[in-house]
This record gives sequence, structure tokens and C-alpha cells, in this order.
Amino acid sequence: MADHSHSHDTHDSHGHGGHDSHGHADHGGLGKYIQVFLALCVLTGASFFTYSDAWPYHDTPAVGWAFMMAVSCTKALLVMLFFMHLKWEADWKYVLTIPASFMSVFLVLALIPDIGMRVKGNYGYHHSADRMTIVGEPSDTKALVDASLKYAPGDGAGH
Amino acid sequence: MSHEAHAAGHVKLQYQPALPLRNGKLFLWLFLSTEIMFFAGLIGMYIVLRFGATVWPVPHAVHLSEPIGAFNTFVLICSSVTIVLALEAAKSNKSDAARFWLALTLALGSVFLGVKAYEYNAKFAHGIIPTQQGAPYHNIYEKADIYYGSAVKYRAEELNDALSADIKARNVQAEFDEAYAKYSEANKSLSTIDAKIEPDLVLATGAEFKPADQPKADAALAKLKEDLGKIDTAAAQANKYGDMDVEFSRTKYFYLKDNLPTILSEAQSEKSATLYGLAARFMPMAGERDKRHFHGENDRFTWLKMPIVIPGGNMWTSTYFTLTGFHAIHVIVGLICFALMIPKKYTAANCGVIENVGLYWHFVDLVWIFLFPILYLF
Repeated sequence: MADHSHSHDTHDSHGHGGHDSHGHADHGGLGKYIQVFLALCVLTGASFFTYSDAWPYHDTPAVGWAFMMAVSCTKALLVMLFFMHLKWEADWKYVLTIPASFMSVFLVLALIPDIGMRVKGNYGYHHSADRMTIVGEPSDTKALVDASLKYAPGDGAGH
Repeated sequence: MSHEAHAAGHVKLQYQPALPLRNGKLFLWLFLSTEIMFFAGLIGMYIVLRFGATVWPVPHAVHLSEPIGAFNTFVLICSSVTIVLALEAAKSNKSDAARFWLALTLALGSVFLGVKAYEYNAKFAHGIIPTQQGAPYHNIYEKADIYYGSAVKYRAEELNDALSADIKARNVQAEFDEAYAKYSEANKSLSTIDAKIEPDLVLATGAEFKPADQPKADAALAKLKEDLGKIDTAAAQANKYGDMDVEFSRTKYFYLKDNLPTILSEAQSEKSATLYGLAARFMPMAGERDKRHFHGENDRFTWLKMPIVIPGGNMWTSTYFTLTGFHAIHVIVGLICFALMIPKKYTAANCGVIENVGLYWHFVDLVWIFLFPILYLF
């Protein structure tokens, strides 16, 4: 039986025979964890870069969102593969992770067009008239920002 | 048939576990797969509400600091490394090292929670609390409309009534009036000084600065300092009472005496520009790419607690506290586990518990990896 499970599983009482002598003696280890840690720090910096003035796509936020999601998925994969040892686990990992991931991804994908995109069309919002009388709009933000600049033009050295 | 029966009697059955992993680890992974769906539901809820909203506040409009969020991300990543190292140490039968790494993980998790508490406190201080319009402590209005105006009026009158009752009970009306007279006199002389000195300062610091103007500028600054000193003395005289509560009430008295008539008349205005001016006065807001953090009167006078306007702020508040709150609960559970685990002795034989709790902790880190960009940077 091709048992790729982790060497400390050898200490369980199931007497499974023949683990850990083959293949994966090189997994884990301080060096690898530090590499992953540095990669995670660099990727966090990459996400944070979208906040800086040097990020060139402030006018098209969708670019930043796609970039950050790609970075987050990479970080999540690094954590799962190395810190959660999934890279070295046997095939049971697919049974538990793939269905859960499918359900979560499709839950979100199914909701976005139904609720997320339904209310915002090319010709304005599709909220009810009642809702629009109480809900804030971009024009309200603009009015507040304009009034604020008039109120405190030179203020704002920081927190 | 007889052959089969014969064979059944002699076959040697070999029992094997269904999956090549410990029961504890199997159940932990089953739990994590439900947790994946739980947080996917929450994050899906956020994405749907955010993109379905007519307007969504930018992070600094709700006093969210991106660098603080990035720092917390870094702290959680560090704690993920330390818990992995705890497991490695236990597998090598280094019990003390394992306990050290566990303690460090506990400390890092506590730092994360502490920073989170600091952030929550900053929200609460600005009245950013998830409640329904009209509920107690509700402070966020979507737009500066007549409902906002009447809320401001209500709060102003509430403050004034409470203060009047307080002044009456303390019997300090005459003293307050005297102090206020001194205070307005000092304010008046400050504005005359401004008018007198400004031309000299402009001359000295303007675009056409000449070295010859330097003595004039120095003299103007010296005069300004001297007059400011006089005002400080006057203010100290006005604040001659040692009682902190009285002093606090006096600050309120001065503010309300100066501003209440304007606030009440502006709050009843039908012009939206006037109402937005009022909102900006209490909690001003910078534009989208403007990273400045303005200070309004709600910041200067923390007791003021005037209603504020944040378009999209109510939905933002609900989703922010739901997402970060559930995450924080998971962090707390992890910290309790670490605290319970630290006193024990670890060897390769019983390191499974570190692995299980470690898996859970990595999952908590994973959730934050997604929450950080969608809450702080989107």
C-alpha cells in the first residue's frame, strides 16, 4: 500500500507497516519552513503594494482585486501544502478538501450574479424606489468629501 | 459451494484502518472541511453585499488602517511558523523546545488579538457600531438628509439638557459665565493678533522672501509667542477650579455656548449642502485616493458623539464585525488550546495533539489571508 503519510503516523498503534522508509525523508525541515515563511512575507508585501501610490492600476480596481485574489490563493496554497503538510499526505486529502472547496467556490459564484450583479446594471441601480430614498449613493460620498475639504483643507497629518 | 464454505473457515482476515491517518487527525480534517464552507459562506456574503451595494466606504472613511492590517497578517504568518516548529520539536522528542514554540505561538496570537481590540476600539470611538438606524448607540447615517438633521438636533439638545441639569446641581452658573467671558476675551485678542501679525509672516515666508525680511519675521514670531503666553495665562485663570468634573463640564459649556445655536439652525436646514457641512464638521472624510485622516469635532471632543454620515457605512460595519468577529472567536479558541497545552510534556508519541491544533491554527491563518485583502485593500 502506497502510504505517503507523515512519519509521526508511524507512532500510532495501527501497525501499518513500512511507512516512512521510502521517499519523503526530505519533507518539512527548518530550511523549507523558513523559505515558505519568506515567500508568505513577500506575497503579503505584494498585496500591500496595491495600496501604495506606485501601484499603476488605481483607476481600474478590478485589476487590483484579481491580483490580490491570485496572491491570496498562492499564500493559501503555500500554507496548506507546507505548513499543513498536505504536500506529503496520502490521497485521502483530496476526499476532504476538493468537495469542500467546490462547494464553497460554487456557493460564491452562484450568489454573485443573483444578488451582487442584479442590483447594479449599466443604467443605474435596480433597487426599489423605497430603498433608494434611504440608501447612500456615490453622490452622497462626493458631497461629504467636498464639504470636508472645505471644512478642513489643511488638516490631516495622520492618525 | 462447499469449497467456498471451506475457504471461508480458513481465510486469514487482515484488518486495516480505512484511512491511513489517526482518528483525531481525520476528525480535525472533517471539521476543517466544514469550516471551509462556513467561512466561504461568510466571505461570499461579504462579496455579494459589497458588490451589490450602491456605495461602499473606502477603508480610511471607516478609520481602517491598512498598515495595521498588514502587520497583523505578518504576526499570524509568524505564529504559523512557530506552531510548525513546535510540532517538529515534539517529533524529535525535544519537549522544552516544543513548549517554547507553543508559548511563542500563544504570544503571537495574543498580539494579533490585542491589535484587533485596538482596531475595534478605534471604530467604537468613532461611533462605528453595527446597529439599526434608530437603535441605541446607532450613529451612522447613509446620507445627510432630514433624518440626519433631526438626529443631530436631538443629540445637541440632549447634551444641552444634561449639562444644564449638571450646572444647576453644582450651582456653578455664575462661575461658568465669568470663565466664559474670559475665554471669549482671550479668543477675541487671539484673532486681533492674527490679523496684526499675518501680513508680516506672509511677507517673511512668502514666495518673494528676501533676507532683509528676516528680522521682521523674527520680531513677528516673538510677538506671537508673547501674546500666546498671555492667552495661556488667561486660559489658566479661566480654569482656576481644580475639580476635574467641573473642568470637563466647563469645556462642554464653552463648546455649547459657542456652537449650539449654529448647530441647531443648520440641523433644521433644508439645504443638503448645509447638512453635509454639518456632517463634515463632526467627522470629515477625505476623498478616495486622498489618504489623509481628518479630525472633526467628534475626535476633538470625545463626549460629543454627534451622529455621523458614512455612505454605505452601516452595511460595511455589519460585514466587517461579522467577518472579523467570527475570525477573532476562532483565534480565541486557538489561544485557549495553546494555553492548555503548554504545561504538558511532549514526545514523538503524543505530538498528535500539537499537529491537530496546529492544523486548526493554520486554518485560522488561512482565513485571515483572505480577509486581509478583501477588508483592508479592496
